[in-house]
Amino acid sequence: MSPVSAVGTASVASEHPLRRALRSGRVAVGGSILLVLLFCAVAAPLIAPYDPNEQDLLNALKGPFWTDTAAPGFLLGTDNLGRDTLSRLIYGTRVALFVAVCAAVGTMLFGTALALLAGYFGGVVDWLISRAVDLWMSFPPVVLSLILIVGFGVGIGNVILAIILVDWTRFCRVVRSEVLVIRRQNYVDAARLSGFSHLRTMLREVLPAAAPLIITLMSLEMGIAVIVEAILSFVGMSVEASIPAWGVMIADARNYMYQSAWGLILPILAIVTTVLAFNLLGDGLRRTFDARLQQH
Amino acid sequence: MSLLALNDVTVTTEAGGRQVDVLRDVSLAVGRGELVGVVGESGAGKSMVGRLIAGMLPKSFAASGGSVTFRDRDLLAMPPRERTGLLGDAIAFVPQHPMTSLNPVLSLGAQFDEHLKRLGQDGKAARRERALAALDSVHLPRPADLLGRFPHQLSGGQCQRALIAMAFAGKPDLIIADEPTTALDVITQARVMELIDELQRDSETGLLFITHDLRLAAGHCQRIAVMYAGEIVETGPAAALLGDPLHPYTRSLVAANPGIDGPVRRLAALPDHMPGLSGFADLPGCRFAPRCPVRDEVCATARSPLTEVAPGRFVRSGGACRQVKTGATEQAALTAVTLDSAADPILSVDGLGKTFRSGRDWLGRRRAPVVAVDGVSLDIAPGEFVGLVGESGSGKSTVARLLLGLETPDDGRIVVDGQDITGPFQRTAKQRIALIQMIFQDPQSALNPRQRIGRLVTQSMEVRRPPASWPERLERARDLLGQTGLPEDTIGRYPVQVSGGQRQRVNIARALCTAPRVLVADEIVSGLDVSVQAQILNLLLDMRARMHISMLFISHDLSVVRYLCNRVAIMNRGRIVEQGPTEEVFRAPQHDYTKALLAAVP
Amino acid sequence: MSGEILGIVLRRIAVAIPLMLLVSILVFVVLRLIPADPVAMSVPPNATNEDIEALRREMGLHLPIMHQYAIWLGHILQGDLGKSIAFGQPVFTLIGQSLPATIELAVFGALFATAIGLPGGILLFRLRGRPSEQVVDVGSTLMMSIPEFLWALFLILVFGVAFNLLPFAGRLPPDMTISKVTGFLLLDCLLTGNLTAFLEAIRHMLLPALALALGTVPLIMRLLRSSLLDVIGEDYVTMARLRGVPERRVINRHALRNALLPTLSLMGVQFGFLFGGTLLVEVIYSYPGLGNLMVEAVRNTDLPIIQGAALVFALAVLTINLVVDVVYIVVNPKLRRAR
Ligand SMILES: Nc1ncnc2c1ncn2[C@@H]1O[C@H](COP(=O)(O)OP(=O)(O)OP(=O)(O)O)[C@@H](O)[C@H]1O
Ligand code: SF4
Ligand SMILES: [Mg+2]
Repeated sequence: MSPVSAVGTASVASEHPLRRALRSGRVAVGGSILLVLLFCAVAAPLIAPYDPNEQDLLNALKGPFWTDTAAPGFLLGTDNLGRDTLSRLIYGTRVALFVAVCAAVGTMLFGTALALLAGYFGGVVDWLISRAVDLWMSFPPVVLSLILIVGFGVGIGNVILAIILVDWTRFCRVVRSEVLVIRRQNYVDAARLSGFSHLRTMLREVLPAAAPLIITLMSLEMGIAVIVEAILSFVGMSVEASIPAWGVMIADARNYMYQSAWGLILPILAIVTTVLAFNLLGDGLRRTFDARLQQH
Repeated sequence: MSLLALNDVTVTTEAGGRQVDVLRDVSLAVGRGELVGVVGESGAGKSMVGRLIAGMLPKSFAASGGSVTFRDRDLLAMPPRERTGLLGDAIAFVPQHPMTSLNPVLSLGAQFDEHLKRLGQDGKAARRERALAALDSVHLPRPADLLGRFPHQLSGGQCQRALIAMAFAGKPDLIIADEPTTALDVITQARVMELIDELQRDSETGLLFITHDLRLAAGHCQRIAVMYAGEIVETGPAAALLGDPLHPYTRSLVAANPGIDGPVRRLAALPDHMPGLSGFADLPGCRFAPRCPVRDEVCATARSPLTEVAPGRFVRSGGACRQVKTGATEQAALTAVTLDSAADPILSVDGLGKTFRSGRDWLGRRRAPVVAVDGVSLDIAPGEFVGLVGESGSGKSTVARLLLGLETPDDGRIVVDGQDITGPFQRTAKQRIALIQMIFQDPQSALNPRQRIGRLVTQSMEVRRPPASWPERLERARDLLGQTGLPEDTIGRYPVQVSGGQRQRVNIARALCTAPRVLVADEIVSGLDVSVQAQILNLLLDMRARMHISMLFISHDLSVVRYLCNRVAIMNRGRIVEQGPTEEVFRAPQHDYTKALLAAVP
Repeated sequence: MSGEILGIVLRRIAVAIPLMLLVSILVFVVLRLIPADPVAMSVPPNATNEDIEALRREMGLHLPIMHQYAIWLGHILQGDLGKSIAFGQPVFTLIGQSLPATIELAVFGALFATAIGLPGGILLFRLRGRPSEQVVDVGSTLMMSIPEFLWALFLILVFGVAFNLLPFAGRLPPDMTISKVTGFLLLDCLLTGNLTAFLEAIRHMLLPALALALGTVPLIMRLLRSSLLDVIGEDYVTMARLRGVPERRVINRHALRNALLPTLSLMGVQFGFLFGGTLLVEVIYSYPGLGNLMVEAVRNTDLPIIQGAALVFALAVLTINLVVDVVYIVVNPKLRRAR
């Protein structure tokens, strides 16, 4: 409003938001970790020293190279069946990232669409969608995903579907309240008065304003999806047994933690690092966008 | 010796990588029992003066020169603890936003109790007695009941009275009131000012009254200091200063203020707007120079001192302004518009009604229905400007939204240019868009910050059938910017990159894009500074002369309505209580509410 | 005043009832999607087709789904959740045996979360603008990245395996038994006057409860911090300072009391999630609660238990939300009607 802000922001506004985001340490660190993980996932057959399911029972429960129990050739040791931990970790990124990306895109599309409808139209539409959210939120997410997986059966597609069906509410709730705020801005009314249809108004005026929030939420959602997948694998309700997943590794290693704690620690670290990367990215993005919003 | 004296105080901060003096050589004195006004546009540094005295300058702001003496001690040299000890006790404050200045989770009684305890009053019962007496002194009825209430259960006026009672409770030597009535309704505003006058008259308290409203200050203060861009440009006795302003800025301020009586003359609007903080650094000489009508070569570089030109009158004059003689600025008389009285009204509203039945709050409690608009009938002739005046909550904005189709009326008819457009928006969109458009109150929220101005003003061409080409839109955009007095290079800028006044022009340009017959303008100048307001008002007058456009001009400001509108309708609680030619209504108001409104104008 | 609040509470309960009904429909329908045939699983391998058909009829599986639902609901309302396929015992009994353990665990988890989260939030807020803020902030992001089931494993590794400080299996040492009075172990220990057992039970609960809490703590911290940051910019805080109220009191009395309100309502949601978190934590700590029961049932596709446990989880979440809402209403004067 005051001329002060008009002068002060002119230079800042001209800087590309993407560049500013990259300058944030959080985004840089989170993004780099994710790039490495992505590389592991894509190039798994090339960089993994062994087939992840290859057993070497003579070399079972070996520790990583820096421990006394290390066995030559198994950099990070082996599990109870003598499978190479490093290879299993590398192949595990495939499941984790695939589920993360698909589930996040799915929740985003589903949750945002409903949030837009609810927040923009209000009234009965809003009431119905909000009650659906209430209903979904009456289940702890873990419980609901378990029920859904029991209903759908195991498999990576069903895991993704279950995550979408559980977590759309997270998106919907947050984006809806954002849309409610945007809806009150006069420029939305002004667009209507210029002859914009509801759909055009939503897509051109409301959605871009909510986009920073949506991108941030998506990043956080990917982290959540990694966790949910790990939980489901841990209880044996995710992917088929032949596919290596971090949660499965944890479940296997748990029974042998006195013999080899590292078999448990390493997949835990893999999960935490991945989730941390997504959270750092989301956090960094949120901060960049917040700074941007303060200027408007 | 004055109670409070600022001597050549400079407050410095960093903006745009440079050191900037937010306040430069400010000198100001308040005596015991004196009421001194500080007047200036937003960003001039008025509030900074208050914050300086309170010792609560924002981060990275610091006093870099001068002194602030209070009761013969320099506040700037005082240890912080001691300084904090003065607050609330010797120096009290009255805030701008009364509703949000009381803690929402504590009852009024609890907050009073805390305050009085801090003032050293022992005994809960004694404190309660004092609180009751204090509330009584600000004429709040049933004080015992009020003490048990929470802030959200009080009105804005009641909150402000309570806060004033708190401020006076410790019999402070000095009270600083920063825009204490701006957030209040016109009538409440007048009553609160009366109250401040009354309390202050009976006490030894000096009062520093900070406001953007020159007339309001002149009506209540003994002395006034006018600020511009961090400097005091003129101080003097209120009456003399308003009647015979000496500094070019003060003179333009007076000339840009539409009056409530006397002949209506064209407002003399200064060009441009006051520079922002980072702009101060580019003005080493007279900070007013870029806008000054009488500047000469020396002004841009030479700093001028505040000199006493008559007893008690100080003016900061260095350049040509030193020679300027006193006397009023030339202002052309406004030529009255001639309306074709035989023509059919361009807009005709009959028996419009709207009730909001907003179901329940989240606790499931049923809300009472609000009758926002109740049987409103109104005609506007081609080329006529009609003012719609009323307090906040009287239903003015709802009338606007009904006319534009953003809400659907419960009863009544809306006819524009012979076409009935009463139905819901979807069905009547086509006619409406071509016939009637709206200028929104807050240009900030009315312009999508993510789109360039060229695109914004031609927004309605985007959905035209057949679609408009981009060159066509650019040409139209240039045309519209020209009509609203915006430089052509704004076309590629984002709304944040232009000033508040320019943003409002963009807003107007957009409304003109479909060449509508009727504009509805909802409080479009209320957020603007006087000099910018004058520019916009003159722009609207020019538009009327050029395009013969009609307008429903919604405002709470009677002087602005008087300046602009041929006819006026007074609205109260959803009904129009009186309407007629502006001069007639203002000269001889019939309805009690109109009389009260007029009486409240400072 | 209290009459008004009572009315609101009753209305909140009234809203929860249709929600519970919808929850039951959801549970029922989803679990009917199940690809495995529950009948085939509950008959001996040598059963004939006729046997299966007979069982199918006995279980009502030949009826239309809404009809089946109605029957099922009718049974539930009479406290009959069916019989476990794996254990052959009534589901109601099984749940009744395991629920107190879970409630105890969740309550302790919530207490820990509050006890760590709120001071943590204030600490985060106090550090604002200092260099150490960045460190603590990244630390809290790291904590956010560790879900409670990983905390559970991690705590076992550290306190159980590496240092052998605390037990991490079950609720009591294997050689200790406590006669059951209420089912709530701690309460029973006290009622039977067995202080040794009480302390042992607490020791057994420390790690799982802490794991649950640590999953929630960073959220509470961050929310309280950001609420405090919002509140600190409010006019009434400035006004309190201008009245000369000392800074400490400004924060503790004026800012904190307002900032706690949004934190409180988030904690309702979080404690609901925390209750769900018991599922995995109980599995990991071999804690004989509802979560363990349910995961076991999921592995066995023991449909009646899954349904029953899911309903109880939903009921628990609704109850937690209700309680938090009521507290919120009671402590928030802004919700009292204007007079
Ligand atoms: N969407 C709505 N839902 C419920 N009540 C509303 C709504 N819009 C307006 N009102 C109520 O209608 C009445 C008139 O509101 P309106 O906004 O028209 O007043 P106004 O005179 O324009 O106020 P201001 O000067 O503050 O803009 C008020 O009591 C307001 O609270
Ligand atoms: S010093 Fe120059 S620019 Fe400043 S007010 Fe006087 S004449 Fe105008
Ligand atoms: Mg209004």
